[in-house]
Amino acid sequence: MARDNIRTFSKLDFNFLGTALVIAAVGCLLIYSATYFDDPGLGIFKKQLLWLAIGFVLMLFCLFVDYHVFFDIAPFLYGLGIILLLYLMAFGRLTANVRSWIHIGSFQFQPSEFMKIFTAIMLAKFFDNHERAYMDFKSFFRAMLIIAIPVGLILMQPDFGTAATFFPLVAVAMFFGGIRWRIWAAMIVVVALLGLGGFSIMKPYQKDRIITFLNPDRDPLGKGYQVTQAKIAIGSGGIHGKGFRQGTQAKLDFLPAHHTDFIFATLGEEWGFIGVVIVLGLYLFLIFQALTFAKKARDRGGAFLAICLIAFFVFHIFINVAMQIGVLPTTGIPLPLISYGGSSTMMFLMAIGLMLNVDMRRFGATSPA
Amino acid sequence: MRVYRDDQKFLTFRINALLWAIVVVFVFLAGSFWVVQGVQAEKYRNLSEANALREIVTPAKRGLILDRSGQKILADNQPAYSLSLDRVVMRPIVKGDPAHRVKIVAFLAHVLGVPPQEIEARFEKGKAIPIARPIPIAEDLNMPQVASIQAQAVAFPELNVVPVQRRNYPYATMAAHLMGFIGEVTEKDLARHKELKQGDLLGKRGVELMYDEYLRGRDGAQYWEYDSHGRRLAEYRPARKDPVAGDNVYLTIDFDLQRRAEQYFAENEFVGAAVALDPRNGEVLAMVSSPVFNPNVYSKRFTPDVWRTIASNPFKVELNRAIQGLYSPGSVFKAVMAMAGLSEGAIDTSTSFYCSGSGVFFGRRFRCYNKNGHGDVSVANALKVSCDIFFFNVGARLGIDRIAEYAHKLTFGEISRIDLDGEKPGIVPSTQWAAVKQHRKWYPSETISVAIGQGPLIVTPLQVANMMAAIANGGTVYRPHVVKMIEKVSPDGKVDRLQVASEVLHKVTLAPKALETVKLGLWKVVNEEGGTGGNARIEGLNVSGKTGTVQVIAQHGWVKTEGLPYKYKDHAWFASFAPKDNPQMVVVVFVEHGGHGGVDAAPLAKLLYESRFRQQFNDANLDLSNPDTLEAIKEGQAPIPGQVKKAPAAPAGSNPNLGH
Repeated sequence: MARDNIRTFSKLDFNFLGTALVIAAVGCLLIYSATYFDDPGLGIFKKQLLWLAIGFVLMLFCLFVDYHVFFDIAPFLYGLGIILLLYLMAFGRLTANVRSWIHIGSFQFQPSEFMKIFTAIMLAKFFDNHERAYMDFKSFFRAMLIIAIPVGLILMQPDFGTAATFFPLVAVAMFFGGIRWRIWAAMIVVVALLGLGGFSIMKPYQKDRIITFLNPDRDPLGKGYQVTQAKIAIGSGGIHGKGFRQGTQAKLDFLPAHHTDFIFATLGEEWGFIGVVIVLGLYLFLIFQALTFAKKARDRGGAFLAICLIAFFVFHIFINVAMQIGVLPTTGIPLPLISYGGSSTMMFLMAIGLMLNVDMRRFGATSPA
Repeated sequence: MRVYRDDQKFLTFRINALLWAIVVVFVFLAGSFWVVQGVQAEKYRNLSEANALREIVTPAKRGLILDRSGQKILADNQPAYSLSLDRVVMRPIVKGDPAHRVKIVAFLAHVLGVPPQEIEARFEKGKAIPIARPIPIAEDLNMPQVASIQAQAVAFPELNVVPVQRRNYPYATMAAHLMGFIGEVTEKDLARHKELKQGDLLGKRGVELMYDEYLRGRDGAQYWEYDSHGRRLAEYRPARKDPVAGDNVYLTIDFDLQRRAEQYFAENEFVGAAVALDPRNGEVLAMVSSPVFNPNVYSKRFTPDVWRTIASNPFKVELNRAIQGLYSPGSVFKAVMAMAGLSEGAIDTSTSFYCSGSGVFFGRRFRCYNKNGHGDVSVANALKVSCDIFFFNVGARLGIDRIAEYAHKLTFGEISRIDLDGEKPGIVPSTQWAAVKQHRKWYPSETISVAIGQGPLIVTPLQVANMMAAIANGGTVYRPHVVKMIEKVSPDGKVDRLQVASEVLHKVTLAPKALETVKLGLWKVVNEEGGTGGNARIEGLNVSGKTGTVQVIAQHGWVKTEGLPYKYKDHAWFASFAPKDNPQMVVVVFVEHGGHGGVDAAPLAKLLYESRFRQQFNDANLDLSNPDTLEAIKEGQAPIPGQVKKAPAAPAGSNPNLGH
């Protein structure tokens, strides 16, 4: 058994792990540069290092335990996540209009971030048991139900942005689960109706964001302020950037959320287009490797787990980067491994661990019998 | 364990398709960044430099508070100097010289004459303010302080002496309870009013609080360009927003009456309250609560000790006794008893009872204050001499619930909805009150105490004034108000005046015969020999009123109040109106532990009537005993303000008592 373990861990993909850690290191530098002026004690920077350390431990845990064990306990994890979300609905404190944080003393975390992982595991387990290339209506309905329950609870917080991040799981289920054209047609109708209905029940601040997105110059000091300031930061960085710690937009507080949702704008300002391309390149490399893991996975469950987690990464990166320059509306979606934040940093490191887990155990010999 | 087999190709194909889709998305994102950072870089570089704008708030001038004539300004704004600290400038200096922070704290402590911990506390408090905005450090600098700070401008460039407008109450303690004061916003205020910022000042009590939305105005802003080292360059003029001054508020308060009443309390060192109001419209002409405080001391940012000093004062300085002080009405309540008895037919104008000095009711012996007794008395004379036995009998005939009904009708037991904060409703006991609030049975003998205004019955001086006003004007209960007019002066100089309309809360149907008899009794109190209120008599003016002397502790036997220690001394009341026919002013005076209503409270009423009716004809030496003058007063030539526009008596929703 010990020998089996050693054989398994000898398969650990250090390229992939290394890419992830380089991205996290870039994130730390950016957080430092964005906050040292406002926060001379470097409290935010040090906290991020703490989150990374905790996340690293969680990642190791996600990596050592065979992912099939996670499949076995998937219903418990999923159930735990649902209970935490229900707890929030009953007792959550309102923070910035939404009820998405659990406070334990001075410590707080967002259960919805962990729910992303639990839902991905639950969905992968579902596909592990579902061996046909195409789903019928009943299977498709079950897969959608796994996603819809947490999404519904998060929408009630109401955290529109986080609920939207579950969308990639729907795409994975449809694209990789295999569905017939009739289901496609039905889905399109349902999504269109939900979209129209959704807009009518949105909170005013959510509507404002969408309207502002359509026309950010309408009110430069108002709701479009963030996007305008982000574009000024990015554009003024030019090709080479203003240099490390030299950005003025973030330092003088013109750019709100400059260490969280809008950290990519700080990157654009200080490191320029070159920095942007490098970071996008690192992400693309990470995704490429992860997709290779999915292809080589030894079973459907592993492949689906990897794909679900990649889908989260791709979706977060795309939404976050696109909103920096006003291609998409402003949402509170963090940039994986770079944005400041405990729950999201831990969640993405756990995802990295699970993907490595799938890759390490791609050979049949060490799997539990 | 499920090794997947049948759809390996299916998955591989789709994973490859996904990879290419992601590559396309990334190329698209990189292309978008190229447009912003490569093609449009120059445009955004310029914007970034021009956009290094910082907002400097230009505070709005707070509206004035004036008396009813507009001649006397009771609250204005005085030029003063504040000190603020710019952290954007301070940061790089502290980076270069870590000792700088200690130096600046020591310097400020020295110049301002406060301990260094206090300076640290102000730094700490400023952390809630965004870094781009300066934090307030001190207010009201004197000239030597301004000079020492400016002499050190090179050493401490982050310090700015800012000319500001400081709230000032020129008459200091005058009408302090009514005017209220201002103070710094709290977290609670910020949550309620979206337009406020950390560090703003706003009304905290009284008119300053209730009419804050009018008085406050709207802050303006200037946008200044800064370089990346935090140095100020030039103003970006197109974005400038001019401040809009607050509206001026004209009180219904008559300056002379208010001052005279306050002097009376100050000279006699009396604790208590006085209210003068116009029974024709509910305007409050004077409202005094003694002792007083100085709102100039409250209306500052950095006065942590003031609250403690004032809150610990044994005489409860901050209490507005006129609307928050709850007292037994004593014999003043006999006016209500007479009205109830006559209206309900429990007595008629000729019903008389024999007073021997005491009497037995419901098995207990009750004493009249006059141990020798008043003999046979009917209602008008019972009011005149304030015979307790007569009203014990009326109370016994009416029963508590009919008494309570009339007390409620005549404004007791509920707030009057005056446009001031913190008004208290008082208590009107009834059988239902005993059952619901006290979970007990009401004993008929308690009714006897209530009949002379004692027992659980408690009222505010304002309620007594409202009761008198309703009797004076024949049954109309107005909503009392202290603000007469709001004056909006727009930036182009256009003046828009909103008159506060008088508001009738309800009308009480009082039988004309009953009304006439009660008024006659009240007239006798002041104008006939042997009446208890002779000290308020003005020849010819026909002041009508009722005295009250409230026992503070239960006494067994007849005790003279003069011999008692202060805290056991009786409370003194005098509630009145004048002239008897066509009344134009109600005056209620209450002196806590004052002794006798007729001796200690009535003289102030006399002073106020003299002042008012002389002033009405613009003649300080007016002979009030001249029949012609009195004829004019009787006809009510005092001008009632024309009502240009109707406005609510208080900003909607700002009165925490509304809806009770």
